[in-house]
Amino acid sequence: MTEPTLHEVKVPRIRQWEPWFFVGPSLLLLLAVGLYPTVFVAYFSFHNWTMGMGPPVFNGFDNYIETLTSSDFISSILRTFLFLIVTLPIELCLGLSIALALDQTRNAWLRRLVQILLVVPIATTPSVVGMLVQLMFNTQLGVVNYGLHVLGIAPIDWLGNAHAALGMVMMTQIWEWTPFVALVLSASLATVPQDIEEAITLETESFWARFRYIKLPFLRPGLVASIVFQTIFTIKTFDMIYSVEKGGPGDATQMIALHIERIAFRGFDVGLASAESVLTLIVTIVLAQTVVSFLYKDEV
Amino acid sequence: MTKHKLLSLGHGLFLGFIALIIIFPFYWMIASSLKTENQIFQLPPVWLFKPHFASYAAAIVNDNILRALLNSLIVTVGAVALGIAVGAPAAYGLARYTFRGSSQIQFWYVTNWMLIPVVVLIPFYLLAANLRMIDNPIVLILIYQTFVVPVVVWLLVDQFRAVPIALEEAALLDGMSKFGIFLRITLPLTVPGITVAAILAGIFAWNDLLYAFILTPGTDARTAPTVMMSYLGGYIIPWGRVMASAVMITGPVVVGGIAINKYIARGLTLGAVK
Amino acid sequence: MKPSVKSLLLGSACAAAVLGLAPNAHAWSLQQAAAPYKGETVTVVGLDRPSYKAAQKLTPEFEKETGIHVKWVTYPYENSLKAETLNFVSHSGQFDAILSDVVWPVDFTKANWVVPIKDFMANKDLADPNIDVKDFFPVWRHAFTIKGQLVGLPFDSYAGLLYYNKKILKEHGFSGPPKTWNELLTDYAPKLYDPAKNLYPYALQSARGETQTADSFTRFLWPWGGRYFDAATKKITLDSPEAIAGETFRQKLIKFGPKGIIADDHSQVVQLMGQGQLAMVTEWSAFYTTLTSSKAGPDIAVTTEPAGPKGQYSAFGGFAYMVSAQVPKKTQDATWLFIQWLTSKSMAKPLLENGAVVARASADTDPALQAKYPYLAPMVKTWEHGSVPDWRPQIACYPYFSELVSQYGSNIETGQYTVPVGLKKLSAKLQHYMNSTGCWNSINVPKH
Repeated sequence: MTEPTLHEVKVPRIRQWEPWFFVGPSLLLLLAVGLYPTVFVAYFSFHNWTMGMGPPVFNGFDNYIETLTSSDFISSILRTFLFLIVTLPIELCLGLSIALALDQTRNAWLRRLVQILLVVPIATTPSVVGMLVQLMFNTQLGVVNYGLHVLGIAPIDWLGNAHAALGMVMMTQIWEWTPFVALVLSASLATVPQDIEEAITLETESFWARFRYIKLPFLRPGLVASIVFQTIFTIKTFDMIYSVEKGGPGDATQMIALHIERIAFRGFDVGLASAESVLTLIVTIVLAQTVVSFLYKDEV
Repeated sequence: MTKHKLLSLGHGLFLGFIALIIIFPFYWMIASSLKTENQIFQLPPVWLFKPHFASYAAAIVNDNILRALLNSLIVTVGAVALGIAVGAPAAYGLARYTFRGSSQIQFWYVTNWMLIPVVVLIPFYLLAANLRMIDNPIVLILIYQTFVVPVVVWLLVDQFRAVPIALEEAALLDGMSKFGIFLRITLPLTVPGITVAAILAGIFAWNDLLYAFILTPGTDARTAPTVMMSYLGGYIIPWGRVMASAVMITGPVVVGGIAINKYIARGLTLGAVK
Repeated sequence: MKPSVKSLLLGSACAAAVLGLAPNAHAWSLQQAAAPYKGETVTVVGLDRPSYKAAQKLTPEFEKETGIHVKWVTYPYENSLKAETLNFVSHSGQFDAILSDVVWPVDFTKANWVVPIKDFMANKDLADPNIDVKDFFPVWRHAFTIKGQLVGLPFDSYAGLLYYNKKILKEHGFSGPPKTWNELLTDYAPKLYDPAKNLYPYALQSARGETQTADSFTRFLWPWGGRYFDAATKKITLDSPEAIAGETFRQKLIKFGPKGIIADDHSQVVQLMGQGQLAMVTEWSAFYTTLTSSKAGPDIAVTTEPAGPKGQYSAFGGFAYMVSAQVPKKTQDATWLFIQWLTSKSMAKPLLENGAVVARASADTDPALQAKYPYLAPMVKTWEHGSVPDWRPQIACYPYFSELVSQYGSNIETGQYTVPVGLKKLSAKLQHYMNSTGCWNSINVPKH
């Protein structure tokens, strides 16, 4: 065997199985764990099957038609998008501000403290967050309304008013996930080479110019990752909202995951739940891929 | 110079405000766990009080929270260990080789993460039930791979790319096998990144409610977040006990997160390294 | 009311069983009956509620006497159905003693998931000659009689009651509680409404979920003459003038409640009542101990729920134990022995004294117990004159039916829809659901 060259390491022609040696085990594991349920769901989405009401019967696209004509499915999807469209930009702006402030501040002690604290909301169990929200936002006895009272603001019926409840879960989502964005963007900012930054500081005083031309290119991957992650997290959000008030009052905070849970585990309608899941999965994938391709498009 | 001072004061105030917002709910949770039931709802809030540990005792005795924490620990460690064992080589493979379909495969990992848990639950439950594996932590360890592997792969591809290829070439010249290089040269250099991936995946595994709720519902098998949910079904919500459990459940993850804090900046680069 | 042929047959079957066994009565003992099952383990589904705490406390007595091990698994209410259904569908045999809410027996029996009681009653070795099924209040027997067959033994049985704070009522010039809902709204509510002093006349627990359906929506349906559906014509009737009148009344009433009540569950309402911020609350009989041991406890008294314009139809809820058909015969027999013991006449008193609520007439009407537990008299009165077994529909697809009711019921309560619009939407939704699932065929019409 000849001695390998740099060329060979990068594009091995002879040993094509080599990457599969590394990737293979995880693919097999995920196929076993993830593919079986996906195939199951796809299969039963074409069946009329309610648990306990007899065996599954093939019914073509009935479940899909039912789903797409059901106001509950559509409104849950739209509500989830509203949730995403409101929380994501706030999380990005706030997260970026925190990352930049951390980068700029000369107070090393405060920087350290905030860096440590940013981990707290990410690590806090969402079902615990939900219970905590219930306690703190209680209309009569909660500390949030007490705080508003001290500021001279009338109490808000956080859990009983549809709009307030949606606002409340949005705020909670932002509290939980902004730190994640801030950490990711902080990490990206740390990759900006010191010498370049120092050089440009001598060139221009303009913060905006330094940001746009030096930092933004380094931030881009972090931003893409944040958007993709947050899109996934938001569409999957279940634990926190469920433990606050199960999607209520009415259907004010009923996101798509809660809606499907109801059909699957209150209605036990496996066929319908499967069809809704397939549609949701498609929407999520399309969304994530659009984000990725849109944001990477003008880079190359 | 005054402009600079003003700016840095602004940064300080902003960061201080953020710190306050982050910490307050957490403080409220700890304070409530140490208050009596009456003090919890007292307004204006009682800021100074004698800590009262009865809620912790009650949570430990009545809700068997320690057992639940142990179950959570077993499941989390198992899931993360398995995820790293298969995910790290996969990330290495994707970082070092460009092959037909490699970018699709990378995206496919993430797709697994997009599965809404509710959806996966019914088939997984039926399968586990047929295998008589309900209440068996192995079921959770397996299903958690749907998000542990994507987290690990996504985070580590970058880490491996950042390792200079020259190091590996030198080892190759010494006659080391490709896997040997991965194991003995590249892996040790990425320990900080792997730690971040492990902790982050561990946080998600530890915090999972929905899978655990359905797949390990038994009194002896349930995990910590499930205990949280069990308070909702009672006639009375024992807030002191709820908050004491909450502190015990979040404590380990928060401490773990803080412990790896200084690596996070290096671990979460997510594609920023070219 | 005309007794149906089926129920006559059932009645005589029971009587025959009891009579047939009578000569052997002295011979039957739990210890002897259990001898073949020594060492068996029975897994029992329970809830985090007082009756199950009492049962768990007394369970060692059964274990000692029989050598059968009893393992309790406790679920939050909202998840017990999920766990049990998945258990049945997957044939995983996790549970032996099945807990059925009063709205689930149709579901559980239709799929043959549970063993009919008569199978055990006919077995001389297993049936306690003193079981005296007739001692369960009729409304409870009827609620768990599906197609003429008794399918479960009632346990943890509730009646909706009116709890009131004597002191607050007296201070505002009322000598007693209101007899009708109209009185409560027009006479009592305005005088007892004083938000500045944190005093409210009445609070209605309305959290989304079964609380919204049972404790809030249905409570204002029957007393105004509203019904969920007409079984004969297979039509949902929630947009009827009667239903609209009842739910409109509810909207007027909640204006007098504390803010945020729409999201509140039992725990918050009970908390407010216990702190003396409420004059009245309608709650289950099972809350008696919790309420009377609260801060305002000494002032709290209890009576029957107010009547509506069309009579008294108090909230009706509770459970029964059934035997899983998916576990081995030997385990089924051991399970039967346990549920028979737990719901027996002789256990009623000790359970009651440990905080449980039972549907045994012999215990609930016992004068000594009634004197000690003031909730018993109104509870008995409610079950005898103010309850119907299908207060909530007895259909196989009840869980999702109830989800829809709770969603729209809650939307109406928050004011997102006006009462007529919301009820119209809800009716259309339920009609579609019932038609598309074929659930109409599963309706159980119990005796009233």
